[in-house]
Amino acid sequence: MKNEHVHNNSETFLAQWLEGQLTDEALKNLVSEEDYTAYLKIRQGLDVREQLEAPVDGSFSKIQERISKKKAKVKPLYTNWAIGIAASVLVLFGLFTFLDANEVIVETGYGEQKTLVLLDGSEVILNAKSKLNYDESTWDKERKLFLEGEAYFKVAKGKTFVVNTDQGAVSVLGTQFNVNSRSNFFDVVCYEGKVGVKTSEFETVLLPNDVVRYVDGRVTEVIRSLEKVPTWIHGESSFNSVPLRYVMKALEDQYQINFDASAVKDSEIFTGSFPHDSLNIALKTVFETLNITYHEKEKRNIKLRYKE
Amino acid sequence: MSSDKRNICHSKTFEFIYNTYAKDIRRFLFFKTQDINKAEDLMQDVFIKLWNNCGSVNYDKVKSYIFSIANNMFLNTVKHEKVVQDYNKRNRKEDTNESPEFIMLEKEFMEKLEATIASLPEKQREVFLMNRIEKKKYKQIAEQLQISVKAVEKRMHLALTTMRKEIGDI
Repeated sequence: MKNEHVHNNSETFLAQWLEGQLTDEALKNLVSEEDYTAYLKIRQGLDVREQLEAPVDGSFSKIQERISKKKAKVKPLYTNWAIGIAASVLVLFGLFTFLDANEVIVETGYGEQKTLVLLDGSEVILNAKSKLNYDESTWDKERKLFLEGEAYFKVAKGKTFVVNTDQGAVSVLGTQFNVNSRSNFFDVVCYEGKVGVKTSEFETVLLPNDVVRYVDGRVTEVIRSLEKVPTWIHGESSFNSVPLRYVMKALEDQYQINFDASAVKDSEIFTGSFPHDSLNIALKTVFETLNITYHEKEKRNIKLRYKE
Repeated sequence: MSSDKRNICHSKTFEFIYNTYAKDIRRFLFFKTQDINKAEDLMQDVFIKLWNNCGSVNYDKVKSYIFSIANNMFLNTVKHEKVVQDYNKRNRKEDTNESPEFIMLEKEFMEKLEATIASLPEKQREVFLMNRIEKKKYKQIAEQLQISVKAVEKRMHLALTTMRKEIGDI
């Protein structure tokens, strides 16, 4: 239409500007400085208003995608019995159990891992056969929880965060670290920030990549870790100079098996790793290097013996 | 099963909660971050956290739970950005200027805008909504309403001046 004069039209220029037929520069010349800022803000407000009202179902499918990806990573189980166990584990150990109103208990079964978010936004990944509990009602006042087993913590900044175990306490302000506390094995790795470790016998502060290990009542040498996060999060358990009995314990927790180790020396030192998705490969990688043979005497009972 | 309806781990319940609160959470995060894309991303993160933690959240408290998660996530991004900003400041003293195009949209402003649109004279509002919501060009609107393009533009222009007046000092 010919009467569509874009410029110098005192009754329509705002309409043309909103449609982009008139530039911001041109508008600036037509109105006062104050009006100009106001109109820019109105235009942006209108754009945002539409985006705020936009449907959210697209995002929902993205969320579903992200959730299902996560699941696939966590449970790479192949054999039939493993699937059977996984199913029964799911039934037996529901995600969370409430004992009384305020105490929250989270447990994982054999070969299971759980990621959870605490009320302050801190994240915890719980490894297989581990248990975590804390009191929800006092969480605001003190961030304190109790751990049996192994977990990786990503602590949101805030008040002191304390992880109590049977063997000692780990306290931090906001950082990332891994705690492994099983029978007489206590191992803490700091990935970020500063971590304080205190047991009845010693007290120390860890800096990033520092490791402290306390085995059978003795502090063993501190080896520096090169990983950014513990490898078990990605489906592999790694050990650096760890007595064999703790490696066997980890295998038992991962695969729900039992070892008969009466014929081998369980204090032998092992360095290496095993995958969480294949028992055969796991057994092979751990025992072949130690020159040990293994065979399944009865279901899930594995006899260990040195090679002739 | 009525117990499923209150179990957040049940996918139908989760979806229902999402449909009820997703927009509110996104809106809440927008006013905090002033960035619609960030608000969208964080909103997704909020619901993923809710899903991961579904068993430990009481159905009756889910609303305050997701809003506090949203707030925490926002605070975490602020902390992160502050570190980045401080770092940039230290390393590039030259251009500390904030982007001049940045316009802060306060909650009050958006509410005022909303109210102003709702109270526009009928003819202006009709044209305004056809253009902004139905995304119709002025020409299409003119054809549909059987008026001239110029008349459409006049109404849009008036609508904008009304908004300017109503919004007042900013």
